[in-house]
Order: sequence, then C-alpha cells, then structure tokens
Amino acid sequence: MKEKDLKIDHSHQLILYVEKEDQSYGPMQTGSYMADNYLDDFFEKRDKLRQQRLEELVRGEISPLAYYKDLVEIGEGDLAVRVGVSKRKLRYHMTPKGFSTISVALLEKYAEVFGIPVAQLFQIVLCDDERIEIGYEKTGLPQVIISRITNKD
Amino acid sequence: MTINFNHKMAAHCESGAVTTQINHAGLAISEPMVFGISGGLFFGYFKLPTMDFPTFVLRNQPGKIRQKVQKRLNLQIESSRQKDPARSMAELDGLLEQGLPVAVQVDFFYMNYIPPYARAHFNAHYINVVGKEGSDYLISDSYHPVIAKLDEGTLKTARSVKGPFAPSGFQFRVTAVDPEADLRAGIKDGIKQTCFYMLRLPIPLMGIRGIRRFGDKVTRWPELCRDIDHLSHEIMMIHVILEDRGTGGGGFRFLYASFLKEAAQLLDNDQLDGLAAEMMANGDEWRQISLFVARIGKARDLGPERLDELKGMIHERARVEHSLFNRLYAIARSL
Repeated sequence: MKEKDLKIDHSHQLILYVEKEDQSYGPMQTGSYMADNYLDDFFEKRDKLRQQRLEELVRGEISPLAYYKDLVEIGEGDLAVRVGVSKRKLRYHMTPKGFSTISVALLEKYAEVFGIPVAQLFQIVLCDDERIEIGYEKTGLPQVIISRITNKD
Repeated sequence: MTINFNHKMAAHCESGAVTTQINHAGLAISEPMVFGISGGLFFGYFKLPTMDFPTFVLRNQPGKIRQKVQKRLNLQIESSRQKDPARSMAELDGLLEQGLPVAVQVDFFYMNYIPPYARAHFNAHYINVVGKEGSDYLISDSYHPVIAKLDEGTLKTARSVKGPFAPSGFQFRVTAVDPEADLRAGIKDGIKQTCFYMLRLPIPLMGIRGIRRFGDKVTRWPELCRDIDHLSHEIMMIHVILEDRGTGGGGFRFLYASFLKEAAQLLDNDQLDGLAAEMMANGDEWRQISLFVARIGKARDLGPERLDELKGMIHERARVEHSLFNRLYAIARSL
C-alpha cells in the first residue's frame, strides 16, 4: 500500500508498513482508519447493548456480572478462568439468585476483571446532565470508593 | 529514575518490544527483520473453550518471536517468571535501579493510556518498562506514541492476572548481542518456518487451509449471533484484527513484505525482491477485505450474498498465498 493512501488524521495512532515514494518499504505512523470512520457505529451498538442489558438488570432477570461481562466483551470461559470458578458456577453467579451468594473477596476478583471498583457492582450510576461529571476516588479499603460529583461549568 | 531508552512505536507489541531491546543492547535491526527471522507470520482459525465466538490469529504463538530470534541471532536473553506478584515487582524494581530496561508481559486491558474502546483482555501483550517516578512506572509501549505512565497497582495487576497465556510475572531483557550473527541463515530459517506454518501444518485450522476454513465458516456466523448488531460487530472485528491490532496493516502482510524487501537487499536477491512486491500487493487485497467488512458491517448489509462475496475474497487470498508461499519456500531452500 502506498504511503499517501493510508495517511489518516486521528488521535488513535498506530504503525502501518507502506511503500514510500522512493519505492522503499517502511513504517508510517498514522491514525486508525476504523477509529476515524466507524467509531460512532461502535459506540451506537455498545450503547444499545448497554441499554438492553440494563433493562434486563432492572427487571431482575440478570445479575450485574452479566451486565458488565457483555460490556467488557469477555467470554464466559475466559472470565471463569480469571476469577477461578467453573463455567457452571459463573452462569449461576450471572443470575440474581446466584449473585447474592458471592463472597466479597470473589466479587473483588470479578470487579478487577471488569476494571471497575467493586462498589459499582451494587450501583449503576447514570448521568443525564452533560454538565455534571462523576469521578471515583480510591480509599484505604478496596471495597469502598468515594463518588465525587462536580459541575464542569 | 529514568533510563535513556529510545522509544519507538511499532506495528506489533512483541516484535516491537524485542526489537527495541535488541537495539538498546547495541545491534541495529528493524522490526520487520525481527518478525521475519522469527517466522512470525501464521494463520489460524479457532474457537477456544475460553471464547464465546470464533476468531482468527495471524501470528505465531506468543513468546515465539523472542525465542526464535534469540536462537537465530545468537542473543543473550535473561528472563524470569515469578508467580508471586510482590516478588515479580521487586525483581523488576531491582533491574530498573541498575538502569536496565525490562520487557514485561501484561494483560493489555489494564494499559489505561490506550483509549478504552481499543482495550481488551489479552494476556500476551509486551511492553518495556524504562523507569520509575514515585510509584508510577514509565512504559514504552509499541502501541503508544510517547512514554506512558502506569501506577504500581495497575502494573502489578496486569502482570499477575489468570487466564489464557497468563503472564505469571514474566519479564526479560536482552543482555548481549552478537554483531557477527549470521543474518543469511536467520532469514532462511525464518522464511522456511513461515512457509511450513502456511503450507505444511497437518491441521485444517491452520495455514492456507485455515484461511479457506475461515472463508467457509464466516458465512455461518449469523447462526452464532444474537442479532444483526452482534453480527455487524463481529464482522467489523475482522477489520480490527487485520489492521488495528498490531499487524502493521493487511494482516501482517505489509510488515512481511518489508522483511522480504530488506532481506532481498541484504542478500542481493532479485527473486526475493519480486516476492516482496507480490506480498505487498497481497497485503493490499487483505486490506480490501478489511474495508469491505467495515462497509457492510456499518450498513448492516449482511445477507447471504454479501457473506458469500466475503467468502470468495478470503478464498482468493488462500489461492494466491498458496502459490506465493510455495515459491518463497523454493527460494529459501536455495539461499
């Protein structure tokens, strides 16, 4: 691929190998074509999935683990191995009944895989006002976080 | 402390981390050379028990780039695996205090300087740790334009996660290079290995037969998806895997073409130069597949006709690559 055909201006940078003007081959730092052209579609699909799972959660059909599992896009087998439970046990934990039987220590492992504080497994925070920003601060206790709500204005 | 380390972005994390380690140790070598000599190019179509959806891989097993290039370029590499997270971090700190950059294996999901949408759980990501400021580590990551920072807790977690290819605190550094290393033999062995992977592995999921299987199976993906959005997402992931996830574009074919070009110049071999141009053109056609899946995925134009069209494009790559790698193997034998 010629260098001029691949140059994209986007903050998500990567290296592509290209044919240079002097016909040599070498690396070129450029923006991601996918991020530049299709990121809106990715977010649209993810928001739709988030909304579907949230409605199931609100209706009491799934546990927060099923909600976050889909948002993080991790397979059942992978998640089970990472937290050290069987797939069967994981499926039980993804039901509301099973969720209530999990120890805090195991919940911490799940939260670590999802990249969230464990407290967020008990509370989904939504914000309808774009002027409001919600930040999370760690405390000395891994189970406890401080949610700080600030006005961006 | 900060170590004087020449940070460079690279197409691929492992070949990038190994290349910068070799460069730091005193041998000027490019990423394509490291990738090619290690026989990095591969194709496999899998659905592992840990996955909810099938996927394809385009490179050899994680860790093999380092192992093969070590053997073929006679490198001295010091490595260790330490399952205890605290001890693995202490070992890392000890080397950093001596001013030595260390390559470590991590779960990519925790590299929080990368945009969240681009991060996924993948345990075989490689970075170079090149210093420490307070409790923050300085990270040279092939996928990030500048040196990044990662706090101690996050790096510790990223090095101690469980799951497929678990890092188990693995780290390595190149301690010495051989300026007299036989590049011709390394190039020959690397090409032969890639040709073996692509042509002669007796498993239908791998190599050229794996590409054909991928083409066949993709037409049945709708049966595996919960709805059209899910199918669109999985189809568009073909683009991400071919272009954005550390391949250098065209599913590593552009990177491999660069290797063949450099090898042709080094060995003064016109046949290799011709195949480099063919490989670059082959990469262009893989990129056409990437653009096609992005387009039909966004338009949700994912009926049987479109997927058959995609199958045809993938099968055509298998046909072309079968010829290309056979001729490459013949050249490698004569080197």
